[in-house]
Amino acid sequence: MKNQLRIAFVCSAAVALFASTAWLEAQAPRAGQIQQEGSIAPEAAQGRGGRGRGRNAAPAQPTPKLADGTVNLGRVAGEKGIWNLPYITNMAQNVVDPTTGQPIPEIAAARAAAAAARGAGGRGAGGGTRGGGGGGGRGGTKSEPWMPFQPWAAAVYDYNSKNESQYDPEGFCLPPGGPRMFATPYPGEIIQLPEQKRIVMIFEGGTHIWREIYMDGRQHPSGDELNPTYLGHSIGHYEDNNQTLVTDVVGFNENSWLDYFGHPHTGQMHVTEKFTRPNKNTLHYQATVDDPGAYTRPFTVAWDIAWRGDGELSEYICQENNRYLNRLTDDFGQPVFGPKTPGIKPAKPTAGGTK
Amino acid sequence: MRTKFAFVIAGLALFLAKPIVAHHSFAAEFDASKPFKMTGTVTKVEWQNPHTYFYIDVADEKTGKVNNWGMEMGSPNGLMRAGWTRNTMKVGDKVTVEGSLAKDGSHTGNARTVELAESGKKLFAASSQGQQAAQ
Repeated sequence: MKNQLRIAFVCSAAVALFASTAWLEAQAPRAGQIQQEGSIAPEAAQGRGGRGRGRNAAPAQPTPKLADGTVNLGRVAGEKGIWNLPYITNMAQNVVDPTTGQPIPEIAAARAAAAAARGAGGRGAGGGTRGGGGGGGRGGTKSEPWMPFQPWAAAVYDYNSKNESQYDPEGFCLPPGGPRMFATPYPGEIIQLPEQKRIVMIFEGGTHIWREIYMDGRQHPSGDELNPTYLGHSIGHYEDNNQTLVTDVVGFNENSWLDYFGHPHTGQMHVTEKFTRPNKNTLHYQATVDDPGAYTRPFTVAWDIAWRGDGELSEYICQENNRYLNRLTDDFGQPVFGPKTPGIKPAKPTAGGTK
Repeated sequence: MRTKFAFVIAGLALFLAKPIVAHHSFAAEFDASKPFKMTGTVTKVEWQNPHTYFYIDVADEKTGKVNNWGMEMGSPNGLMRAGWTRNTMKVGDKVTVEGSLAKDGSHTGNARTVELAESGKKLFAASSQGQQAAQ
């Protein structure tokens, strides 16, 4: 990983020259982004950060509660059910105003501009590779102007875009860190254990991981006691008359991306999450990312997550036969994992053209 | 590219209301601008994470030469949610596959749907090509 990051830094400057202004095209509305088994409507799939009421395909039912009236973020006794986590490839499309929860206007403006460009017969704002179109191609999606990137973070993001996210750690079967946990399209569960003063979150995807949120009033460890990890150290409490779970997460390592598109983060990342369940079939997720190492100011993302009432978790062991790693080559055509050919000169960085 | 399949130039059929499984970057390995539809005989099935692979012998319609193609699908958990079991497709079955070709020109594809000739059943392949709908 460190080698790849090094390569990323080395190449990002060069890549920045190639990066086009095609992000507008690639940011166009993505109808039906994450529909899974018909349990989530396209609008909800967009995860535009609204409160989500009525967006779920299933009729709204009252929010289930625990015995003491606290919001139940999981199953009702005797029933099945899983959270059908959406596939949000670019978190910049889900940035909201933290006070209103509504999408910031810059996103709609960019979409309108992209639509206008297409209507004029153009391929977006110019020059992208396949215009961010088919095949999950990112099309040179450039760092979004409304994201408060540090310059290096914008360059790394543009590099990740240029090479079609081929170094995405999730492709290496490494876990998502921060809000990407809830944007990786495998189901998950939230299990509240009030007697034990903790909450356990289980994720089928993202390499079959679990996360524990301490609800016993403890603080984060300090100094070296806070060991950097993929998922960080989570403490939580309830607000809003026990209807909102608020978590505070620090202690992330730097081995993960914020999303598939490759928004980077550093070990300084501090994530504050809010979980609400406006009705039985909808979990509203909001996360504020404060990472002065990569961004000049905090930003907040939000989306809805649909309940799949007949669902149960399955096994998914990503590491079993991950041939992608065997095929993956770096920007100089060398295997990322495996013996390198000595004497290869890095004469021509070819981000995005390594296959 | 003269094998017995037709490139589908028309718009891609998007199978939206199905599970989508994401693992690695689809676009890093496959080219959605090179869709394919080919029919062949299954020679091997690897029902594994993070991707199930199957292999089919496909005859070149001009030369008759048989090439063995490797096809990537989703993981077993996603495939089962899409209606598959580990025995849905067996060695010797005749299948028609639609998907996208690998960028590197190898006999490799990312399957989007698989139609089983015997039953006529067409199944979503729960692959990372679901991303294409997302873009």
